[in-house]
Amino acid sequence: MIMDLQLASLLTCGFLMIIGMFAAIFIDNVIKKVIGIAFIEEGVNLFIVTIGYKAGGVVPIILPEMDPSWFASNAAYPLPFGLVLTSIVIGASTLAIMLALIMILYKKYGTLSAKELLKDRSKEAVADE
Amino acid sequence: MLGYLFMIFAVVSAILALVQRDLLKAVILTGVSGASVAFIFQILLAPDVALTQAIIVAAIEPAFIALTVKKTTREDV
Amino acid sequence: MNELIPLMVIFPIAAALLINLFGFKSTFVKYISIIVAFIIPIIPLASNFGLHYFGGHAPLESSLSGILYHTAITYSFTAFEQLFIFILGILGFFVVLIYVNSYKKASGPYLFLLFMGIAAVSALILSDDIFHMFVFFEIAAIVQVGIVAASTIKDRYEIALKYMIVGSIGSPIILLGIAFLLAIFGNVNITDIVNMINAGFPAASSPVFFASLALIFFGWLYTAGLPPFHTAKSGIYSGAEPQGAALLQAFSVITMVSILIAMVRIFSGLEIFNVILVAFSLLAMILSITMALVQTDFKRMIAFLAVGELGFIGLGMGIGTELSMTAGLFQAVNEMVITALLFIGFGAIAVVCKTTDINKLGGLISDYPKTAIMVLIGGFAMAGVPPLNGFQSKLMLVQSALNAGYPEFAIIIVLISIATFVVFVKVFYLMFLKTKPKALEVSGEKIPKSTIITLAVFLIICITLGLFPSIATDTISGFVGGLL
Repeated sequence: MIMDLQLASLLTCGFLMIIGMFAAIFIDNVIKKVIGIAFIEEGVNLFIVTIGYKAGGVVPIILPEMDPSWFASNAAYPLPFGLVLTSIVIGASTLAIMLALIMILYKKYGTLSAKELLKDRSKEAVADE
Repeated sequence: MLGYLFMIFAVVSAILALVQRDLLKAVILTGVSGASVAFIFQILLAPDVALTQAIIVAAIEPAFIALTVKKTTREDV
Repeated sequence: MNELIPLMVIFPIAAALLINLFGFKSTFVKYISIIVAFIIPIIPLASNFGLHYFGGHAPLESSLSGILYHTAITYSFTAFEQLFIFILGILGFFVVLIYVNSYKKASGPYLFLLFMGIAAVSALILSDDIFHMFVFFEIAAIVQVGIVAASTIKDRYEIALKYMIVGSIGSPIILLGIAFLLAIFGNVNITDIVNMINAGFPAASSPVFFASLALIFFGWLYTAGLPPFHTAKSGIYSGAEPQGAALLQAFSVITMVSILIAMVRIFSGLEIFNVILVAFSLLAMILSITMALVQTDFKRMIAFLAVGELGFIGLGMGIGTELSMTAGLFQAVNEMVITALLFIGFGAIAVVCKTTDINKLGGLISDYPKTAIMVLIGGFAMAGVPPLNGFQSKLMLVQSALNAGYPEFAIIIVLISIATFVVFVKVFYLMFLKTKPKALEVSGEKIPKSTIITLAVFLIICITLGLFPSIATDTISGFVGGLL
């Protein structure tokens, strides 16, 4: 094989983060911004899982017939997996709040363009008067 | 071998999701990307994380976004 | 009574959930939230100092190296944490009091957000586990957005969405930094990481360690609202209700301080850490003052001043001597009280005059003399006029900068303090002293008694800390001694 699974996985999460970062910063549509943010989170989660991976290892669930010392030297590292579970849920909740705000703002302005929604309105209000 | 396939799949569908003009297609491709990452988690020996990822990122998050798209507009102008 | 340590976090969360559940019964919610808010500052006073291991998992000793490994999430509670959580509890109590008094219908979800925020930042300062800190950091970020979105200010949703998008880029980055630390050390407990670094762990000088510093530092800039995030941060202060803004500032200060302390513990061996810390703090101080000078919205002005004051904390920690770190953390305590006073005082004026544009205001001293005087003294405290608490902490900072051999920092501190004074006096003159413009109609509404009482209490805290700074500095210098 040209490259091992762990390295390929690290490359994948790098790509996901870069794609997400690009979308979150440069794409004008807010829903696509949100999708980009979801990709950044996905990339970071994949990175953390990749830390715990052990080539040729076993799933870190101890079964009754396993020898504990063999298990300890062969199982993947389970701490990162536990952390990722939490961070996935956090990501989903932030996403939900952002989408709720987007829905409210769409009702107000009728557009999804970030330039329109997020521009600085404090100066405009002064100019109107 | 399957792992590499899913990795390519995850990245390609992520890029495709962001270049769609129809937001609903983008949502579906987001779900595809999330599901591929769930398979990668399974291959990286984290079945519990894979389950959570498959439910939350591959199913619930696209559902949320699709709901928003339905309430707002489908076109990315 | 070590059992009270986790209760500092669990009690507000449980209360928040309960209040949200009964959100439809307005009077019930009012009474119960006052009682809860009264109990929150008492818990840290009643609790004993010590460590708390969640699930009772005491640390394990490695048979090979003899290093202790913490297997459980650990909370460490000392006099330092007690001081911060107590001040936070006091602020929370008065904020809840004002909220309950000034609105006929108490909203359950809003009080839920306030208590959830108090719980989140208490957990942040107590926790010894960097991932646990990240989780509560995210909760605090969501709470901040929620407090803004639940206000009645005109552009609240835009401000909330903007802050949320910036935050959603910032928080995966801080998580990536934590992941790098996890990849190096295989551990997320700060004490364990520090022990491994001290034991000469080889990877502690690797480029990955530098990368994790850079990533966590970027996330920290976002939470603290230092540049390049100062506009977004001051936006959320001006987008929240006055009492909400007071608590938001306390949340940012505590989040900033607790992540900063974690970074100082882990990365203080790297020379570049102090350099970037000082650089960004100075940048924050200078940029915020210049931004504050050109604003016409007085809430925005105070918000920029508040962000600028955070730079002093970073500067004190960045100089890195015991005296300077004590001064920086003492500044953090003062900062919470003073900005709460200013936000609430100016916010009350904004509510009765229904405008925040300083050019449309004037001559309000005849209408609201008590508020005007108290806000004036609060502003003096922020600018560092003796004998108030801001003076004591800034004096300590100047002394420490001189002792450490950086007279240029001392000069900058003095200059920024003078600029703060100028901005503040300008705001005060335009709002209270200048002749009243004809277009301004003061509705004759009285400022609520609860607001006046709150301002008076905060002022008493300011003066007490100013006359007897050793109340706070003794505990802080003890803590800093353990940190170095």
